[in-house]
Amino acid sequence: MRRADGEIILLWTLPVLAVIWISAFFLFPGFVHPMSPSMTAQQVADFYRNPANLDRIRYSMILFNWFGVGLVPIMTLIVMQIRRMAHRTPIMSYCLLGCIAGGPTVFLIADLFWLLATFQPSQPPELTQLFNDLGWMFFTTAVPFLIGQSLIIALAIYLDNPRHPVFRRWVAYFNIAVAAALVPAAFTGLALSGPLAWNGLLSFWLKNIAIAVWIIVMSVVLGRNVYRQRAEADTGPVAEEAVAA
Amino acid sequence: MTGEAVTELAAPAGPPKRLGGIAWHWRNNPKRELWFAWYSMIIFYNIFVIVFFIMTKTQPPAYPYMPDAQVVSWFGGHRGGLLIGFGIVFATAALTLPSTALIAYSIRRMSVSRAFAYSYLVIYSLSALPGMLLLCVVLSVAAMRPSRDPALIHWLFNFAFLSYVGTMGIFLIGSLVWMLAILLDKNRVLPKWFGYLNLCNALTEVVVSPAWIFHQGVLDWNGLISWWINMVVFGVYTSAFMMLLRTMIQREDFGDGPLPDLPKAPKKAPKAQPATLSSTAQ
Amino acid sequence: MSDITQAEQPEADTAKPARHIPGQPDMWVLVLFEALIFTAYFAVYLFHRSASSALFLRSQGYLNPWLGTLDTALLLTSSMFMLRCVQAARAGAVRAAMANAYLTAGLGVAFLIAKITEWILLVHDGHGFTSNEFFLYYFFLTGIHLLHLLIGFITLGVCIYQLRSPNRRSQEIVETCATYWHTVDLLWILIFSLLYVVR
Repeated sequence: MRRADGEIILLWTLPVLAVIWISAFFLFPGFVHPMSPSMTAQQVADFYRNPANLDRIRYSMILFNWFGVGLVPIMTLIVMQIRRMAHRTPIMSYCLLGCIAGGPTVFLIADLFWLLATFQPSQPPELTQLFNDLGWMFFTTAVPFLIGQSLIIALAIYLDNPRHPVFRRWVAYFNIAVAAALVPAAFTGLALSGPLAWNGLLSFWLKNIAIAVWIIVMSVVLGRNVYRQRAEADTGPVAEEAVAA
Repeated sequence: MTGEAVTELAAPAGPPKRLGGIAWHWRNNPKRELWFAWYSMIIFYNIFVIVFFIMTKTQPPAYPYMPDAQVVSWFGGHRGGLLIGFGIVFATAALTLPSTALIAYSIRRMSVSRAFAYSYLVIYSLSALPGMLLLCVVLSVAAMRPSRDPALIHWLFNFAFLSYVGTMGIFLIGSLVWMLAILLDKNRVLPKWFGYLNLCNALTEVVVSPAWIFHQGVLDWNGLISWWINMVVFGVYTSAFMMLLRTMIQREDFGDGPLPDLPKAPKKAPKAQPATLSSTAQ
Repeated sequence: MSDITQAEQPEADTAKPARHIPGQPDMWVLVLFEALIFTAYFAVYLFHRSASSALFLRSQGYLNPWLGTLDTALLLTSSMFMLRCVQAARAGAVRAAMANAYLTAGLGVAFLIAKITEWILLVHDGHGFTSNEFFLYYFFLTGIHLLHLLIGFITLGVCIYQLRSPNRRSQEIVETCATYWHTVDLLWILIFSLLYVVR
């Protein structure tokens, strides 16, 4: 018998996390109107030295540092759903575990660089710009693990038993679309302005919106599964069960 | 947790040979997950060679003893190659994960505790971060702003190469975990000589450590001993495990006991193939 | 579960007449591979030595040839005891085998102490890893060798562990460990010759 205690709690940490993240997002002045890579070192230094910005940057980044990794337990629940699929081997869940580890870690590194930029605002502007560059680049190019996790979920769904799938097919197509949406951000280093730059349409807006939508959709799908499994466990497994999506 | 239709009994255990066969294998081969992982590994290493050796010219590593001005012109010489090459890495780096998963699977198939497999999985899943991605991001940051202070560019250059060459513990401990599992294994999943080869690979991580100390000579990050001879060892090791994992997949019977050998007879009907449905796979 | 009675484990088949490789054949793969790698290191050393022979010659003068000879004697004797261990094990004299194994280990420890003492003395005199090109090779080669010696202690431990219990006893494992230990000895002799003797 699978022990499922606590999964509902883990699931409901997501809305709490979402509130914290969205607050931190709007708190960080560098996100609300995304900073341009073509700012000069002096402009970047002034941005960080500006007392109106400095505290907001620090506190938002501290919040992100605390809670950035918070998505991992929920993603692990997805791994457990993958384990329930009709695969011959645990290869898919192993791959997904690796992706889950990678994404938040890279985000944490970006966070560290942004915090570093604020620590000694009186440092030479070139240094502030360097830390800012490193933070933005880590943040934006952190996509390989996110692309990986979407494609692995899609592949896992494809390899699952089509008659009793754990996740419906549309979830696979959705994940492929998200993966595609994240690819442009990988090339953000090529441009200091325009849609590919780290504040641009593709690398910032498309990427972050795709991630947000992915989190919402996957949580809903996951939540439905978790609740249904819990109901099954309470009442005994039902033989013929179409996955409610 | 039932699998697909009963046609699996006829599935040959080799990789698809023709394009038409691929589609059939993809739909029916019970080992398709394993082959997916194996081919991902091959694809990744090919991308790696093209991006690192040709596009970005970061392998072999640039010289550690260049002065600031030379470092700046190193970047200037192939800025596009660097940025596009690393962009490709950022899009495809997840391909490292199926190969880790496959190796973890090989350890899981052994007669040793699952702890070995999970340790390996954890250690190597994160290996790409300090061991490869750090270099990619840092060099991209350096390349994207050529007007930066040369001293800072040089700092980024050192950061990138040292982190890449000098991330040692992951591969050291990871190789030792795999080695120990293989040497203790009674299921004959992988040959003992490969277990010993893991020791050689682990030792390369010791041999590379002087790169953190020397700026030139045979032990610097581009040194004859620390990089070139080490890469030969690593190359032999990697080629070996690619071949051995392929053989392992062919031999796999999804059981718990010793892995059967491949049938010796060349082109016979696969009667010795134990591709049964009565698997105890979990 | 599939039925694997095809072939018995093809272990070192001592039923075969005379010609069998002592120990696991796999260990010989390791020995060969390590030999190749060390040959490469030695070649690099000799090449660079010929490029700055005056410096190397002068630096070699700081080494203590007595300590070097002592090291060599210790390892050679330990190899002799290892050989006796294998012979005793083959003859079934387990206690003698274990005693020889312990002696081997003891001499190995003596080597370790002598080597570290020598390093400390050299560093104390101002000749460290980064002092000059010769000492780079000296510390690198002796260091890597020492690491192999430490691994040798682990193999000796395995050997003794195997000998201890009647069900675990395996001549093949004992021979495998002996093969490794002899390799460590051989490597030391080569290193000793290159660093201390060849001038």
